[in-house]
Amino acid sequence: MRAWVLGVAAVLLWPGLASAELSWVHGFLQGESAYRLIQPDQCPQTQRSACQDEFVRGGERFQLELTPRGDWWNFMGKAEVIHDAISGSVDVDLREGYLDVRFPALDLRLGRQIITWGIGDLIFITDVFPKDRVAFISGLPIEYMKKGSDAVNATAHWAGSSLQFVFIPHFEADTVPEAGGRLSFNDPMAAIEARRTDEPSPAIENTEAALRIFGNVLGWDLSLSAYRGFFHTPAAEVEPGPQLRFFYPRLSVYGASAQGAALGGVLSLEAGYYDSRQDQSGLNPAIENSSIRLLTGYQREIIPDLTLSGQYYVQVMDDHAEFLRTLGPGMPRRPLARHVLTLRLTQLLLHQTLKLSLFVLGSPNEGDFYVNPEVKYDVTDAVWVALGINLFGGPLATEFGQFEGNSNLYLMARYAF
Amino acid sequence: MKRTIYFTIGLVMIVSSAAIARAQALSGEEIMRRSYLARYYPGEDMSAHVIMRLVSEGGQERVREFIMSRRNLKEGGEQRYFLYFHRPPDVRGTAFLVWAYPRRDDDRWLYVPALNLIRRIAASDKYESFVGSDFTYEDVAGREPEEDTHRVLREEKAGGRDAYILESIPKNPGNSDFSRKLSWIDKTTWLPLKEEYYDRRGDLARVFTADELKEIQGFWTMTKRVMKNAQSGHWTEVIFSEVRYNRKLSPELFSERSLRAPPAEFTK
Repeated sequence: MRAWVLGVAAVLLWPGLASAELSWVHGFLQGESAYRLIQPDQCPQTQRSACQDEFVRGGERFQLELTPRGDWWNFMGKAEVIHDAISGSVDVDLREGYLDVRFPALDLRLGRQIITWGIGDLIFITDVFPKDRVAFISGLPIEYMKKGSDAVNATAHWAGSSLQFVFIPHFEADTVPEAGGRLSFNDPMAAIEARRTDEPSPAIENTEAALRIFGNVLGWDLSLSAYRGFFHTPAAEVEPGPQLRFFYPRLSVYGASAQGAALGGVLSLEAGYYDSRQDQSGLNPAIENSSIRLLTGYQREIIPDLTLSGQYYVQVMDDHAEFLRTLGPGMPRRPLARHVLTLRLTQLLLHQTLKLSLFVLGSPNEGDFYVNPEVKYDVTDAVWVALGINLFGGPLATEFGQFEGNSNLYLMARYAF
Repeated sequence: MKRTIYFTIGLVMIVSSAAIARAQALSGEEIMRRSYLARYYPGEDMSAHVIMRLVSEGGQERVREFIMSRRNLKEGGEQRYFLYFHRPPDVRGTAFLVWAYPRRDDDRWLYVPALNLIRRIAASDKYESFVGSDFTYEDVAGREPEEDTHRVLREEKAGGRDAYILESIPKNPGNSDFSRKLSWIDKTTWLPLKEEYYDRRGDLARVFTADELKEIQGFWTMTKRVMKNAQSGHWTEVIFSEVRYNRKLSPELFSERSLRAPPAEFTK
C-alpha cells in the first residue's frame, strides 16, 4: 500500500520535476506478476509455500534514481520501494549508491555498485560478483540478475590498457531459493528444518579482492582476471542437533576472456579455473570441488534486426574420483563434465519497438533445460510491457531441473521517467 | 613588351578556361567523393547534441536524444564514434562506441548501465535501422563512394541552390539496400540537398532531404535533415545543435573507459 502511495506521488510530482529540468532525477514505476505454470507435485515442509502460492511474483516497485554530477565526479543513488502483493509486505532496497571520482588516468568508484565481468550470456565464469537468482527465476528483467557489492573499485588506464582493482570488505551472497521462500528447489536435507547461515565476517582477511587487466589488441577485447574470496552460493553441512549449517567456502578464480569480430559476427571465448581453496583435495563432500570452466560463443545478425547467438560451455570437475568416493547418500551425483549449449534469437520489429526473443539453454549430458520466450513492446518512449515464459525442466538434482515447479508466465509493465 | 602582356593574358585566359572546363566536367565519381568527405569527414573531429524524432504515418512520435562525437583517424579512412543517450528514459545512460573501418565491418560496443555491462555487437549488417529510425547505420556512418558507379544526369537548382544530380548504381547489387540512388549535390558546399533511394523493384523507397545547412567554424553542416520512408509514410527528423569541430578530442574518449565513465560534458 505504501509503495502505491509513493508511486502515485511520484507520478503526480513528476511533471513538476520535469518542468524544473532536474536532469538528475529519474526512476520508474513497475508492475510485475509471474504466474506459476507448473505446480510442484509435493513440497517438503520447508518449501510449503511453493505448493500453496499460485504466483511466484506479484506486486509493484518504484525506483528513484538520483545522479547529481560535477565535472570530475558524479553520484549514483538508486533505491527501490517494493510492494510484494502476495505476502503484503513492503521493502526498501538500496540497489546502488556510489560516488565516482575521475582522475586523468584513474577512475574510482566507491560504494554499492554492480560489477560485471566476462562475456557470457547468462553463463558466468569470471563474473563472480553477487547475483540474484530468485529475481531471475521469478521473471524480473535481466538487470535484476545482478546485485550491488559494497566495494572500492579503482581502474587505472594507460596506453590503451587498463588495470582494475576491486575490494569488497563486506561479503554479499547470491540470493538463491531457500527454505521458507516461495520457490521450490532441490533440497536433499529437507528433513532438517533447523538451519543457520554463517557469512564471512567483515575482516581484512575476509575482504574479497579482484584484479583485472584488460585492453583492446587489434580489435579484440582481451582480459585477464584473478579473484580471491568466497563461493557466493552456500555449501551445507550437518551439525549435531541435527542442524544444517550453511557457509561460503573460500574460492579463488583465475580467468581470461577474448572477444572480437570474426566470421561475420562476434566471437567470444572465456576460460576460468575455480580453485576451491577450502577443499583442494576434493575430499569434503559439502564443498564444491575445484573446476575448469570454458565458454565459447558466437553472435551474428542474420538479416537486419534479427540476431542469432549460441554458446557452448563446459565445466570439468577436479578430483572427480574423490567426489564420487565421498558422496553422501541422497546427494546429487554429478558427472565429471557438465556440458551446456545455449541459443538466443532476437527479432526487432516496428522500428525496434517490438522485440521478440527466445533463449534456450540445455545440458545434453545432464538433461536440464531453461527456455525463455518473450515479447516486449515499447508502447511509448516511457512505457513498456513484457510478456514471457520461464520454463525450467530436467532431473530434480540438476541446476535448472530443480526449478521446474517455479516455471512461470510473467507480465511486467514499466513507466519510466 | 605589349606583345608579352597580350601573350600572358592570352595564356591566362586559355589556362583558366581550361580550368573552368575541367570543373564543369567533374566526373560523377569525383563529385560523390567530395560530397562524401564534406558530409562524413568535416574537421578532424566533431561533437554535437542530436535529437531524432521518429514519426509514424499516424503521427505517433518517439524521441531519441544523444550526444555524439566523431574523430577521424584519416580523412576518408578510419573513424571513431562515441554516442551517449539521454532519451528515451529506458536507455538513458546507454553509450555506444563504433570504430568504423573502410572496406571491413565496424567494431561496435554497447554499454548497458543497469548491468554495468559492455556488450560487443555484431555489425555484419549496415542496413539495419539506427535506433529504430529511418536511417540505417550506413546512412549514419557513410557509404564509400567506390561501392557504386556515379553518373552526372544533369544540373539544376534545388532549394535555391545550384546542384549536380547524380545517379548511383551499386557495383555489387548484393551489397546495398538500394538498386539506384539519385542525389542532388550542392555545388557550393558539396552536401547532399536531397536523395532518393529506389528499391530492387525500382520503386521509390526512401527520400532524404537536408532541410537546414549552417556554416559552423568554416564547415558546412546539415543541422536539420529528414529521411522519409516513401512506402510506409514513417519519417525521421534529425536536428543537430551545439555542433563543434576540431576540438582536439582525445583518442581515449573513443575507448572502453568512456563507455563506463563518460566525460561530464556527455552526461549533463
